[in-house]
Amino acid sequence: MARSRSALVLCMDVGFSMSNSAPGDESHFDLAKKIIQKFVQRQVFAETKEELALVLFGTDSTKNPLHRDDQYQNIIVHRHLMVADFELLEEIENQIHPESQQADWLDALVVCMDLLQTETKGKKYDRLNIALLTNFSTASSSDNLDIIIGNLKKAGITLQFFLPFPLDEDEQGGEDGDSRGPGHQGAGKGLSSEQQNALSMMKHIMLSLDEEEGLDEVYSFRNALQELHMFKRIETRPMAWPCLLTIGSSLSIRIVGYKAVTEEKRKKTWMTIDAQSHQSEDVKKETVYCLDDDNETEVQKDNIIQGFRYGSDIVPFSKVDQEQMKYKHDGKCFAVLGFSKRNLVQRHLFMGNQVLKIFAAKDDEHAGIALSALIRALDELKMVAVVRYAYNRSSNPQVGAAFPFIKKNYECLMYVQLPFTEDLRQFTFPSLENNKKVTPSETQLSAVDSLIDSMMLVEEDENGETDDLFRVHHIPNPDFQRLFQCLHHRAVNPSAPLPPIEPWLKAALERPEVISERCRAPLEQIKKNFPLTEVEKKKPLKTSAQIYGKDSGESDVKKAKEDVEEGEYNLADITEGSVTSVGSVDPARDFCTLVRQKSLPFGEVCQQLTQRIEQLLSNKNTQYYMKSITCIQAFREQSVKLENAELYNSYIQSLKSSVPSRGLEVFWDLLRQDALTLISRDEVEGSTVSKYEANQFLVAEEKEEEAMAASPAGDVGDVDDLLDMM
Amino acid sequence: MAEWNAFYHNEDEDEEQEEGEQTSGDYKVTGRDSLVFLVDASKEMFIKGEDGELSNFDMTMQVVRSVYTTKIISSYRDLIALVFYGTEQSKNPRNSFKHVYVYHDLDEPGATRVRDLDALLGDKGEKLAAETMGSGETSLGDALWCCANLYSDIKYRLSHKRLMIFTCRDDPHGGNSTKDRQAHTKARDLKETGVMIDLMHLMKPGGFDVSLYFRDIVSPAEDESELGLQLKPCDKLDDLRKRVLAKEQKKRSLARIKLILDEGINMAVGLYATAVTARKPGAVKLYRETNEQVRSKTRTFQTQTGSLLLPSEIKKAQVYGKKKIVMERDEVDAIKKFDDPGLYLIGFKPMEKLKLHHHIRPAIFLYPEDDQVKGSACLFSALLKKCSEKNVFAVCRCTPRRNIPPRFVALVPQKEEVDDGKVQTKPPGFNVIFLPYADDIRNLDIPHCPIASPIQVNKMKEIVSKLRFKYRSDAFENPVIQQHYRNLEALALDMVAPEETDDLIMPKVEQMDIRLGPLIDEFKNMVYPFNYNPDVKPAAKRKTDDGGGSEKKPKVEVSEEELKNHMKNGTIGKLTVPLLKDACKQFGIRVAGSKKQELIDALVAHLGS
Repeated sequence: MARSRSALVLCMDVGFSMSNSAPGDESHFDLAKKIIQKFVQRQVFAETKEELALVLFGTDSTKNPLHRDDQYQNIIVHRHLMVADFELLEEIENQIHPESQQADWLDALVVCMDLLQTETKGKKYDRLNIALLTNFSTASSSDNLDIIIGNLKKAGITLQFFLPFPLDEDEQGGEDGDSRGPGHQGAGKGLSSEQQNALSMMKHIMLSLDEEEGLDEVYSFRNALQELHMFKRIETRPMAWPCLLTIGSSLSIRIVGYKAVTEEKRKKTWMTIDAQSHQSEDVKKETVYCLDDDNETEVQKDNIIQGFRYGSDIVPFSKVDQEQMKYKHDGKCFAVLGFSKRNLVQRHLFMGNQVLKIFAAKDDEHAGIALSALIRALDELKMVAVVRYAYNRSSNPQVGAAFPFIKKNYECLMYVQLPFTEDLRQFTFPSLENNKKVTPSETQLSAVDSLIDSMMLVEEDENGETDDLFRVHHIPNPDFQRLFQCLHHRAVNPSAPLPPIEPWLKAALERPEVISERCRAPLEQIKKNFPLTEVEKKKPLKTSAQIYGKDSGESDVKKAKEDVEEGEYNLADITEGSVTSVGSVDPARDFCTLVRQKSLPFGEVCQQLTQRIEQLLSNKNTQYYMKSITCIQAFREQSVKLENAELYNSYIQSLKSSVPSRGLEVFWDLLRQDALTLISRDEVEGSTVSKYEANQFLVAEEKEEEAMAASPAGDVGDVDDLLDMM
Repeated sequence: MAEWNAFYHNEDEDEEQEEGEQTSGDYKVTGRDSLVFLVDASKEMFIKGEDGELSNFDMTMQVVRSVYTTKIISSYRDLIALVFYGTEQSKNPRNSFKHVYVYHDLDEPGATRVRDLDALLGDKGEKLAAETMGSGETSLGDALWCCANLYSDIKYRLSHKRLMIFTCRDDPHGGNSTKDRQAHTKARDLKETGVMIDLMHLMKPGGFDVSLYFRDIVSPAEDESELGLQLKPCDKLDDLRKRVLAKEQKKRSLARIKLILDEGINMAVGLYATAVTARKPGAVKLYRETNEQVRSKTRTFQTQTGSLLLPSEIKKAQVYGKKKIVMERDEVDAIKKFDDPGLYLIGFKPMEKLKLHHHIRPAIFLYPEDDQVKGSACLFSALLKKCSEKNVFAVCRCTPRRNIPPRFVALVPQKEEVDDGKVQTKPPGFNVIFLPYADDIRNLDIPHCPIASPIQVNKMKEIVSKLRFKYRSDAFENPVIQQHYRNLEALALDMVAPEETDDLIMPKVEQMDIRLGPLIDEFKNMVYPFNYNPDVKPAAKRKTDDGGGSEKKPKVEVSEEELKNHMKNGTIGKLTVPLLKDACKQFGIRVAGSKKQELIDALVAHLGS
């Protein structure tokens, strides 16, 4: 297998003119360095096999094989051809600085060419490339230009230039001023004569190498950085799958299939390492088997056989038997079972995780014609081929559909897997249309209508051309981008916490700003027309079955109540009138019943009640607060009735003192609204509290509360909502 | 010992983490579903149709059998019972009920039970039924009571209880009001304990009048339309099967999340998997001596010291550019977090913008959950209606669970459809289609494509038209799974050989040839030159490939030094997989997978860098 192999020399100008910049602008040097860093980063994470070398020019010292006397001075071969790694990244970060000399960029180019030629000698490379980053501030002689061009051509070396200013005169108009060098009004005007001179030489070189598109390989720093901000996608070479498409026994067409769309997974998995030594071999995972008895008796691997479930039975079934008895087939196949109307194959029933594109076999004109006839016949009849597909002998056969796909410059069949009977789950759901409770009104429908109109991501301009504002298939997988960002960050700063998600990535995943602007008003309308109320959060339900058929709000509240209680709450207890203690379902009523029954002393009943209240208050939830209020109300009423203020007063006083520490301000507020203050002497004779004290009891709290205003702000909203609802 | 146990991990834990992103069709089981078939065994059930049509009894038994076998494949842990009423003989746990015959009590379906059912099929089945059970008096009340007892004897937690009554008699007690009342009471009791009662009413001369008696027996339908009661009685096997299957499958959501139009506008929706690739179930490990199932436990320990490692003593790492980059375990999770779970609306696009080939995973289904956020169903319904009217789909960013990177999805509106028998064939809701990212689309070198002439295309059209059929998504059984279960069945029941399976996805070549007649040759003459044989070339080529390949490369072994060099230069990836495998063997490294990266990782770990 001939793998493509390529070599690239990054050739960067570090001379003194590179470090000049207007105040506030990044210097050319900094920009060029960033480009190189980003580029190498991408190479490292894409794990390309491309070999990289780095040549610097304008350096104070000189280190290159061509250096003789005063020839090729101030040029350093910093790194020879090698696959990019973190070492290189660190070197770029720490060892490349602006220096104070100048060197001829043409000389540097020659050094790069020499490097490529000597270091790739005897090996086959598909691509040899030199990327030159400079601002052309040094004078260079054009004497040897034609020899250089000749050599480049002979060696098949391609060139790329990265310049601080845009090359194109037209491009300038649209570009922001900041992309140009300091003090320059425009590339043409503001450039020094050396730069002008160098530019024309460069153009000459590039056009000699490629007459038509040569200048496309000249980039401005700014553009290059924009292109480089995302991590490179990992290239996968498409594997050809040659096969025969068969219709009946005697018509075969030679085809070749390629995976065209498939969910790419992360290529590398995390290895487990020891936290101390960071060595993976220090960690070992071992699996043991044991019987399901009390001792968990361990069983040796040799004593284990395999079996399968057949319903309740477990059938021992050895691997050998299984292999022998299993379904076998003739291997690779793409056989038409029949043709069907296209609309019978439903999009949402596509199975598998890939789409194959099927072309005719390479260089087989006849197969090409035959396949084209099929593609076009299907397209014109609006039909698809239903086929049996097997990748090879050891993979399971599938049933799938081959759709005709005709593009301007090519045509093919597209294969997608379809479901087997066993894969389908026929769920039925309640109708939405026949249910009056959920049928939207005309106003509601028109609100949704205008929302959709305001949020259309595809627009058509006057020329009838459509513009898609949100192409998902142009967004890089954020999972990979984020992973590489974090890995890179960690590699460079081992002890720093992980960085936040990069802003460009975040933005790429959000609703486009134009749309956000446009849909603001329609969204307001939706908000107004569709009341959406969250049903009180409760403990996660044990099974979904419990939810079905219980969609009325009442039963949910009931459930919530039930959940408070530790033990099981029995409906019978109340209905049969045998209240023996203060339950959690309706503690106030239980309390009243018990007080009336007098089967227990008042003090004990009160204690039971206060326990329930405490229990309720431990759930910081307005619903429970309301219930507690009812309890306190009952407590107060019964206390007044029995002329026993002591228990109530002492409880409510202790409750008050615990309010700040337990964060019960909201609850206390409710209590105050209901004027559930101390029982005063006016009400019960034995009370030690005066009327004034009783009145002040709640008011004082108010002031205190105001003083410590901060915390309950959020919760108060809830209470208001709740009160509005009631 | 206790400490030891604490560090056992589930064997599959790590795999789950890796695959966590996939919305697989497996649900967390919190209890078992149960299904009781209560079948009328009165004489009326055995009457055959005029033109040899199946009797209602036969039809019912066929459906029951197919439920048994599908349950065995799809959810063997569910419990099924089969009870007959209106029998002469009685058989029930305490024999306290007359004319009720419990054929199978509530248990997991197994091979023997399927055999039992086979015995009740066809004419032989009718005879057997007459011999063992006979037909006698009917008391639906007793039958329901008996079924209630079946439930109470179960020691498992039941998550979903369903009872299906199969009968063709709309007035089972012939006007006996005491019995009627008793049955009503028992039905109410059952419903109160959470049992759903369905009626599978069958054809009878003069039509089946549900309102006569059964209206109050069955559970009310989930929606107001009372779809269940308007159904016509079943007279076809397929209809009955469909109706039973539709009721039988308990829908469980993969996740319940918020569909977020904007901050503060959140609907609650449930995600449902309607098509999930069924796989052969994994093997269970058995102890050779007793055929008893064994459990596996995994522990992680330090190879140097032999001590068990706590989760905090483990970190995760990846190697890039020859550098080992280390992260904490929770950082590995944190990297995957972008949003809280939810479907975030981005906007809408016209339907034609949904590319057919942008497919990376099976779709899932979206339906509102009004019991979580009240008002969801209404907004959902409006959205559904408008989207399908305007022929647009919604684009959302989807994070189904915590710590899962987002994917973009298309919400494609699907209107409700019912068939002639008023059985729902398509539920109302959105199909969620997963969209590919740039990384998921591969660049292909497009080969040169010659174009066929209109005459050639027309000939192919004739061929296509000859081989037309109506595709149905449920028409093809998976031969691999079917064969597997036939094999198990044969082993479980000591059969000589497994039953033959039909490979439904095999082209019926002979029939096709007959249908096409001379068309094929006519087409071939048009597109292929004389003596062109498409079958030969690739075969011949493959031969030379194989032969030449193995001769040219008489096993190249890589020396340790070379390997180390490759590692140093980062060029180890250039080695081929077979070479790497050999190298692993050479150093006695056992590698779990056979992916290139896994091999490389293993080698790097072994030789150290």
